[in-house]
Amino acid sequence: MGDYRGFWVFIEQLQGRVSDVGLELLGKARELADATNTYVGALLLGDFSKAKAKELISYGADKVYLFSHEKLATYHSLAYTKLVCQAVTQEKPEALFIGATPLGANLAPRVAAQLETGLSAHCVDLRLGEDGILEQIVPGFGGTMMAVIICPEKRPQMATVMPGVFPKPEPQDRQGEVISMAVEITEKDLVPRVVEFKAKEQKTVALDGASVVVCGGYGMGSKENWQLLEELARLLGGAVGATRPAVDEGWAPEEVMIGQSGKIVHPKLYIGAGVSGIMHHVVGVQDSEIIVVINKDPNAPFFQVCDFGVVGDATQVLPAFIGKLKERQKRACDFLSIETPQMNEGPYSPDSKGDSQ
Amino acid sequence: MPEAVVCVKPIPDPKHWDRLSLDPKTGVLRRGGIPTVINPLDKHALEIALQLKDNFGWEVTVVSMAPPETTQTLREALAMGADRAFLASDRLLGGADTLATAYTLAGLIKKKAPNFQMILCGNMSLDGSTSQVAPQIAHFLGVPHITHVSKIEAKDGITFKVTMDLKLAQLILEHQGPVVLAVTKEVNLPRLVNIMGILAAEKKPLEVLSAADLDLDLSKIGQNGSPTRVRNLFMPEIKRRREIIKGEPDEVAEELINRLHQVGML
Repeated sequence: MGDYRGFWVFIEQLQGRVSDVGLELLGKARELADATNTYVGALLLGDFSKAKAKELISYGADKVYLFSHEKLATYHSLAYTKLVCQAVTQEKPEALFIGATPLGANLAPRVAAQLETGLSAHCVDLRLGEDGILEQIVPGFGGTMMAVIICPEKRPQMATVMPGVFPKPEPQDRQGEVISMAVEITEKDLVPRVVEFKAKEQKTVALDGASVVVCGGYGMGSKENWQLLEELARLLGGAVGATRPAVDEGWAPEEVMIGQSGKIVHPKLYIGAGVSGIMHHVVGVQDSEIIVVINKDPNAPFFQVCDFGVVGDATQVLPAFIGKLKERQKRACDFLSIETPQMNEGPYSPDSKGDSQ
Repeated sequence: MPEAVVCVKPIPDPKHWDRLSLDPKTGVLRRGGIPTVINPLDKHALEIALQLKDNFGWEVTVVSMAPPETTQTLREALAMGADRAFLASDRLLGGADTLATAYTLAGLIKKKAPNFQMILCGNMSLDGSTSQVAPQIAHFLGVPHITHVSKIEAKDGITFKVTMDLKLAQLILEHQGPVVLAVTKEVNLPRLVNIMGILAAEKKPLEVLSAADLDLDLSKIGQNGSPTRVRNLFMPEIKRRREIIKGEPDEVAEELINRLHQVGML
């Protein structure tokens, strides 16, 4: 594939606001490009100045391909597909990465189909094989398997990548160029017609950055039992997450869904209750420091990838666990209020030894 | 009458996914006799079509690409109220990735429902979760697509007002003419099957077609037509303790607290 060079990233933006996932992917593309002595390209479509586009250089881009037009401020799948395909056909990058967000999932498949190339979905890692082919790591069925997807014969190699799996790079003082691309779009490219853009209030979910995550699955059985998770999370100073089956049952809102098509979390302590450990979920929690699983099925795949696995019905184990934690907390508080009343980190802070000067 | 086409995927019932396993030698998925069901989101897609039938007299056609034993699963779609179903089923179609799948379904639609006004899909299948087939079908048919559809207003049955949920925002779109829509579960509540529907379904046409029946370019179907390959499967390195605790709730709760304390978590 001699003609095709460079790692490209589609930079997602909504009404002028650039999403982090594009910057995260620039960091990864930089790493892959440095390893193979090639360049990083950023594709930016929107209503942007060259100065704004230049900021992407500091995140790792060597070349920023800027399609600037007032109509591009709002996402239009046909117009975006046309321009992305046009740039790829002209410049021939070896790979193109797109965030696995709703917008990315809308755009990437159509671009891949038009370019007649392969596309992997919701990757959790990207790496280069010994033969230089891009290995796209996608979680597989069954609990502990990962699939390595490749696109050996077609270019570019395309992947959508989960937000949050790669760190967002620190901006650096770097050199690069912004290339202004001609925008030729017609009314036909702007259908279906966008009549309104409604920004949602940006709720930061307690899950983001939580050091303890208590997650419920289908085994919780009912919305009433869900209260147990809330109580445990309060006790541990954590946040409640959910698996997809639990969200589907209406026990928790979609915003707290953890896994391949939800959130990726990195807590110190993760407790999965009534969670079987389907890979789609496990990929979202595998970077937790300690993983606890409570499930009544001793053959649940999650037991293979946890630190502490409790075989038991979560709806019975959790009340006992909560009860004992409360006793323990009470003892600790009683003890602390007598001996060390100035200590304010709470009884569950393992590192607090009182010498934090 | 205008025609809505609903793409349906039979998948292993998610309620029994704990019975799924991989053969350690071959890496092949063992389904362990798990029954097949309609991918849950596809029922929401079907419900949209059935409402167009109820309110505006549309025809509802179901299409699928799957092994031949899934015809019973498609009967459920007919029992819900679809008028007819077509199943593309052929060894030559095996091993297809999303591009080859979309090409095949687009070929089936061109052959059997060329005058469609709307193609409806679930936004993703619970088993594969790629969300890629709907936009790719739209490409092969040369019509626009909208994914992540959380609301559809049919108005007069000609112009449609559609909400695309981008998580951080919503796009409200209006459209007339053929289009592919991929819907989320927020879009509606699918109807249940009743006995009349089941009886009626037995008499409705359900046709199984081979690759040859569909005039497909054989280089674009099945594994040959799939640009992606699975290079290998691997077990992620497990650095977990995998300590299993069994017993009565009180005992295991106590033991869990002890172990969490030992590793500095409590």
